[in-house]
Amino acid sequence: MRAVHLALFELRSYLRDMGDLAFSLLLPITLLAVMLGAFGQQDQFNGTAYVVDEDNGPYAQQVIGRLKEIKGLDVRLISASDAESRLDRANITVAAYIPQGFSQRLSGGQGAQVTFKQRGNGGQEGQIVASIVRGVVQEVAGEAYVRNQVQAALSGSGTNPSDVASTVDGYLERERRSPTVGVREEDVGKRPNMLFLFLPGVITMFALFAVSLRSQAILDERRNGTLERLLVTRLGAGELFFGKFLAGLARGLAQVVILLVLAEIVFRIFTPVSFFSTLLVAALFVATVSAIGLVIASVARTREQASWIATIFTLVMSMLGGTFFEVQSGLLRTLSRITINWYANDALKALITGDGTLAKLGLQMAVIGGVGLVAFFVARALFKAVPEGK
Amino acid sequence: MPEEFLIAQDLQKSFNHINAVDGVSFSIHKGEIFGLLGPNGAGKTTTIRMLSTVLPPDNGDVVVAGHSVRNQGDLIRRLIGVCPQELALYPEFSATDNLVFFGRMVGLSGREARSQAQAILERVGLTDRAQGRVEKFSGGMKRRINLGISLMGHPELLFLDEPTVGIDPQSRNNIYETILGLKGEGKTILYTTHYMEEADRLCDRVAIMDHGRIVAMDRPLELKRKLGPPDKVTLEDVFLNMTGRSLRD
Repeated sequence: MRAVHLALFELRSYLRDMGDLAFSLLLPITLLAVMLGAFGQQDQFNGTAYVVDEDNGPYAQQVIGRLKEIKGLDVRLISASDAESRLDRANITVAAYIPQGFSQRLSGGQGAQVTFKQRGNGGQEGQIVASIVRGVVQEVAGEAYVRNQVQAALSGSGTNPSDVASTVDGYLERERRSPTVGVREEDVGKRPNMLFLFLPGVITMFALFAVSLRSQAILDERRNGTLERLLVTRLGAGELFFGKFLAGLARGLAQVVILLVLAEIVFRIFTPVSFFSTLLVAALFVATVSAIGLVIASVARTREQASWIATIFTLVMSMLGGTFFEVQSGLLRTLSRITINWYANDALKALITGDGTLAKLGLQMAVIGGVGLVAFFVARALFKAVPEGK
Repeated sequence: MPEEFLIAQDLQKSFNHINAVDGVSFSIHKGEIFGLLGPNGAGKTTTIRMLSTVLPPDNGDVVVAGHSVRNQGDLIRRLIGVCPQELALYPEFSATDNLVFFGRMVGLSGREARSQAQAILERVGLTDRAQGRVEKFSGGMKRRINLGISLMGHPELLFLDEPTVGIDPQSRNNIYETILGLKGEGKTILYTTHYMEEADRLCDRVAIMDHGRIVAMDRPLELKRKLGPPDKVTLEDVFLNMTGRSLRD
């Protein structure tokens, strides 16, 4: 019971400390808003095609005109020197060069070539833009080929070449507007909400930050003597340790509850079952993190050491654990599986999106709880209220 | 024969093979103020930590009201109150919150804790600042609340480790009065200080420690008499005579 009093006393301290509240609540909310603003509102692809037109002929104009008709694609015509300079500065990652003589070669029935200059693989946006440009160029080249072939076939037949050209262009235009082979898009569900991707990561990262940084406060208490003072009350060493564990749990849980309630008020993403399931997994994660905070407080000798250990630990766990984007590559992907954040984020995403239930998340909960138990016993073995004492 | 409330027998404690306390023995009678004096690093705080169950002794034993620190630490903690040298307070909370919190930790109910907190605030002259945040207090006020916390639960035995260090004469006087009032109530007090006049004024008996050992122990008057006429000799003369004049850490 005294351990509970101790935890509630610390919880009061957290709730009345405006600086701590601002850090633990406003910062995650701001970060979530920024992430959603940056990535959450895109219903279609938006990109920019940087085109260097060294040809200035009719086919080059046709390519550029058709690119401009594509929704979401911003076409910027730049000079070759500007393109070089921007590529050098990594200001852009891909530029498409339409070479001199492009139109002349197509008119003459010869092959032509468009060049893409890119940094690395051009990045995700660059690859998509290059693919769009390539498609348009092939379309224009194909039409030129058909036009030339028909003209060649009918030459000498007495047909007026301009009539042939306008007839062919008419067919090509009709084919372009309503293609013979259509592509149908079938909607199989709502587009994944980016909130579902970011919210679990923000919750776990800030819980980890806040609770592991508590280790500094414990070191402060050890230094100013309040821990020792508590030891000479009826609070035994075990109760003191448990009280500190509960205090971390209460503090982290308060933060998580406020964030989840705010998320529900603003985004309406939970059912009652998913809300409490999410809260349960978050509580398990926070309990584990509270034990880890005590391990840090036990191994660190100074406040600064505790701060660095907590910060590095939090950043590594958050990055590898897929806080915002899942790690894709081989070794890092394997490493991400040994972080508790990955399991927590995975479980929270499943619950928030409604794809999972607690019954299906046994592995994730077992891993988080297992790590928590180990950390709890390690911390208990190492924890000292006074430097040389119990 | 006065009743011995605390008995320390051959206490020893070392850190990294350095003897911090080396065979300390003494007893404190019920209702007595016992001064533990010594230069910095003499082993006073380590001794208090062992007496108050925070540190286990490497050797020897402490018996408080018949209970040994070896296996009855929890029973001893019901009898003691400790005022540490550091200001062991929660500065973001009010004086009342600090007192009530530690009151709950010594096993008082919420009502008892609030009632005792009010009485103690009056005793240490902080009633009008009861709801004030401790971080806003002056050094003297913090010292008084530091002492006040050790009184929660009405402990029989008090360990007061330099309770008057660095404060103004008014606060010091309040603390003196509080301590003498506690003695009047029959409390047993172990008191450490660097102010020899203070020890002379308050303590029934004093022990002078140096290098982890007790080098002298008696009534202040008797200790002074051993060095010369008591009206000419001060306790500080005795202290310097016993511990030397070389500088300490």
